[in-house]
Amino acid sequence: MFEVTTDWYLSLAAVLFSIGFFGMMIRRNALIMFMCIELMLNAVNLTFIAASKHFGTIDGQVAVFFVLVVAAAEVVVGLAIIVSIFRKQSSASVDVLNLSRG
Amino acid sequence: MENLVLVPVFLPLVTAIFLFTQRNLIKESIVNIFTLSSSVISFLITSFIFITFTIEKFESYSVVLYQWTESPKIDFSFTLDGLSALMLLLVSGLSIFIQQFSTSYMSKDENYRKYFVYFNFFVFSMLVLVMSSNFLIMFLGWELVGLSSYLLISFWSSKTSASKAGNKAFILNRIGDFGFLVGLMFILNTFKSFDFQEVLHRANEIPVNTITVITLFLILGAFGKSAQFPLFSWLPDAMEGPTPASALIHAATMVTAGVFMLVRISPLLQYSETTSFVVLVIGLLTALISAFSAINQYDIKKVLAYSTISQLGFMFIAIGVGAYVAAVFHLLTHAFFKALLFLGAGAVIEALHHEQDIRNMGGLRKKMPLTAGMMGIGTLAISGIPPLAGFWSKDEILASIFSKGGIYLGFWALTLFAAVLTAFYMGRHWLLIFNSEPSKTIEDIHDAPRNMKVPLVVLGIFSIFIGFVNTPFFHGVEKLLHITLEEVEITHLPEGLTLVVLALISIGAGFAGLFLAYLIFSQNILQSKLFNNDGFKKLIKFIKEASFNVLYLNKIGNVIFVAGAKLFSKRVAVIIDSILIDGTVNLVANSFSKSAKITSSSQTGLVRNYVLYFGFFLIILVAVFIVTPLVGN
Repeated sequence: MFEVTTDWYLSLAAVLFSIGFFGMMIRRNALIMFMCIELMLNAVNLTFIAASKHFGTIDGQVAVFFVLVVAAAEVVVGLAIIVSIFRKQSSASVDVLNLSRG
Repeated sequence: MENLVLVPVFLPLVTAIFLFTQRNLIKESIVNIFTLSSSVISFLITSFIFITFTIEKFESYSVVLYQWTESPKIDFSFTLDGLSALMLLLVSGLSIFIQQFSTSYMSKDENYRKYFVYFNFFVFSMLVLVMSSNFLIMFLGWELVGLSSYLLISFWSSKTSASKAGNKAFILNRIGDFGFLVGLMFILNTFKSFDFQEVLHRANEIPVNTITVITLFLILGAFGKSAQFPLFSWLPDAMEGPTPASALIHAATMVTAGVFMLVRISPLLQYSETTSFVVLVIGLLTALISAFSAINQYDIKKVLAYSTISQLGFMFIAIGVGAYVAAVFHLLTHAFFKALLFLGAGAVIEALHHEQDIRNMGGLRKKMPLTAGMMGIGTLAISGIPPLAGFWSKDEILASIFSKGGIYLGFWALTLFAAVLTAFYMGRHWLLIFNSEPSKTIEDIHDAPRNMKVPLVVLGIFSIFIGFVNTPFFHGVEKLLHITLEEVEITHLPEGLTLVVLALISIGAGFAGLFLAYLIFSQNILQSKLFNNDGFKKLIKFIKEASFNVLYLNKIGNVIFVAGAKLFSKRVAVIIDSILIDGTVNLVANSFSKSAKITSSSQTGLVRNYVLYFGFFLIILVAVFIVTPLVGN
């Protein structure tokens, strides 16, 4: 049988992060982009936990709790923004929102 | 007891503030009561101080009002020594009589109260100046004097000429004050102190070149305040002020400040031969130019103004040759006879209903006998006729120059010539006003009222006798100043026969000038056949015009300074301003807006572009981590 080493976890995290990142670049729907951000956050969480397990320290796991709390708060604010975008333009595409163009 | 010194200094200020706040005080008699009683009180206290000071063998003392800073130590303090005691007595004494005269001269003026506010403020400023115990407080008084003289000169500010004259006085003084201020900075830098005692006692430790630089800047201040060449043209214009105020400016306050300051710094001045020589030459130039200008002026006050400048020139000459006592003595005698002459002129102007042109006067001797007599005393005194005041002081100055010998004999001759001119223009002044036939009849002329007569008589008596305080037989002023000028080497008078001969020569000069004036303006000798040829007439005409136009100095000054400055600033405006300054500013602004246009194109407003940038820099970051070995590994 294969032994599941830290490398496996890190590789998985890298793959998840890349998926989230490319999703961010490709998709225009605000809701999907939002999910991609969550994917990247959790990829980072996985890295933290793998490193924590690897070095036998608790620091990484503490950081994960902080990330989770911040992510929860961010979801609340972010979803509220997306809802108000829907109300304004009846589509969730972010390309229309280019008011901050220089 | 020593704090009593503060009373005469601050009482005029209190009076000024009090009168200033009493806006409803319309009655002139009530204003008179306040202002006169305050000046009489301060004069009585001053006399008391002066007598105790004399009894105490002229020991100087200081009164500290408060300490301002520790290092360098600057106190707000006043010193009474021989020099300041003399000035204190002079200023507070003269101000009584000039004020009494003013109550009559300024009567019915709509700003009667304001006049006395300024007047008292002026006296206060001058007393701060003379009583100061360090350079900074002296500068404070110096500036206050400048301000209050401005207020008095442009007192009738609705007249354009008056407000312009005030501006001129203020601006020309500012040039001098700049020199004074720079001198003060040098003093602070060299001595680390402003205190007179400390600075003046340590003068011998300082290299001569440093002293020369310091004193050259300080004398610029004195030239401005005492109206010396080339900063003198404000004083004749200052005649726009009320006549008693002119008397105050010319006699006791303001113009004497420069002489006072130079005597104050004489311990420094004596070490620098360069500065002393500059003072001498400028004094001589001023004395000659202004005496020459006075011989063909037609404004009754302008003659006196040029005469003041000329007499101040004499004082500067005395300082230049190191005869500091003679300078102070001439300041003292001049204060009395010049105040007398100005008040006399004021009485004449008042009697003639504000006519100031002496060509329209004449024959006033019979109608105003008392004024004529007193003005006559003043004229004789300033001409140097013994035993009147001017003789003793002017003779002392002339003898001091003579005793230096060598090249100074030439300066002596020129000063003597200025003395002849003095007697000449003063003789002309008196003869044209009081003696010759009037060219225009003015009705209803009466002699001065009582409030004018009393000051005239008192000042007339002083003009006769004040000279006796410092004669070759009794050195009053020298004794008074001997502690102040302890470390100063004073040029002494020659002894014996030389002194007598010199005195005779200067008496001769006075009489010669007066006699010449008598021949020309009373006997009309110039109209006789003797001088009836064209060349001579042309010469006379040339002298008259040159004199009237002050040797065209104002015009030359206009060309050099005004037109030159305009030309220069036009050039500067084109080259420096529009090309250099505007160019730099525009370059900076344009470069910002252009670079902003380039960088702002990266801000697309599309989220995925931002994500792209984010990812791009993330990759760079990771690459850096991979390439760089971990720190501490």
